[in-house]
Amino acid sequence: MDLVQIGSYTFSSRLILGTGKFGNTASMVDAVRASGTELVTVALRRFNREETDHDLFTTLADLDGITLMPNTSGASNAKEAVRTAHISRELSGSPFIKVEIHPNPQHLMPDPIETYEACKILAGEGFLVMPYIPADPVLAKRLEDVGCASVMPLGSAIGSGQGLATAGMIRLIIRESTIPVIVDAGLRSPSEACAAMEMGCTAVLVNSAIAVAQNPPEMAAAFAEAVQAGYRAKAAGIMPKSGSAIATSPLTSFLDTTS
Amino acid sequence: MITITLNGQQREIQEGSTVEDILSIIGAEKQRVAVVVNENIVYPEKRGSVLLREKDQVEVLSFVAGG
Repeated sequence: MDLVQIGSYTFSSRLILGTGKFGNTASMVDAVRASGTELVTVALRRFNREETDHDLFTTLADLDGITLMPNTSGASNAKEAVRTAHISRELSGSPFIKVEIHPNPQHLMPDPIETYEACKILAGEGFLVMPYIPADPVLAKRLEDVGCASVMPLGSAIGSGQGLATAGMIRLIIRESTIPVIVDAGLRSPSEACAAMEMGCTAVLVNSAIAVAQNPPEMAAAFAEAVQAGYRAKAAGIMPKSGSAIATSPLTSFLDTTS
Repeated sequence: MITITLNGQQREIQEGSTVEDILSIIGAEKQRVAVVVNENIVYPEKRGSVLLREKDQVEVLSFVAGG
């Protein structure tokens, strides 16, 4: 059976789900179930009774086999991200933390310097650090060196649906990395998730593409199939490209049509 | 009465209130929340005994949907 190891955790799904932007909680729960995911992200915010009629933690805990990965969204620097991580770990009981530091709401690009600083601290404290990063091979290697459990380079800007715009850089990261590489952000359709897996990604993280689809649970199931297809294809050994045609039928011994 | 800051807003509470009392006031008593008082996490087993004081900065946090 295909299993993914991250820290001491073993997962049978290579699709990680973000829980944001769904029309309602029921839709999100249906999508989580349909996706077969075992790792989902959540955010930490001030409690507001008027905004929440349910306890998201309990809702997700009631689903079998789900591990939480809190994110540090809202943090604009390493100090805030580390604080968020500490509180999140106490609340969730999970060692996973998605370090996500994007101070500019216009483009939501991750701050590489604050991300590195936060990851160095949190990895030293035993977190399973999963940093959301620009697709920068040098940064990815630095984060591996300080003990991150994976690196999560963006395909394109969060919620933009611009797909694998950073494909070339992701390939470089995969080539140099000995830890899981997980594409996070920008994927729009299952074929793009499949392509990421065919490149050699360990997993993909998808949120908007499922949450904003017309039928989120159906889209979640489609993504799950695509991730599996891409993983299997990579494992099966994809044929090389050729600059010229290579026939699939023999070019000799035709039927002789002359008499 | 004393004044604390709770989730960024000033609030008057009874002197001698515990952290647990505050959770009841804001409807969080049955929710899974984290409580931070003056940058220190107050663990669940301590919430009934930690007393709040004038000018305490209290944050009550929970998980919400996010990517």
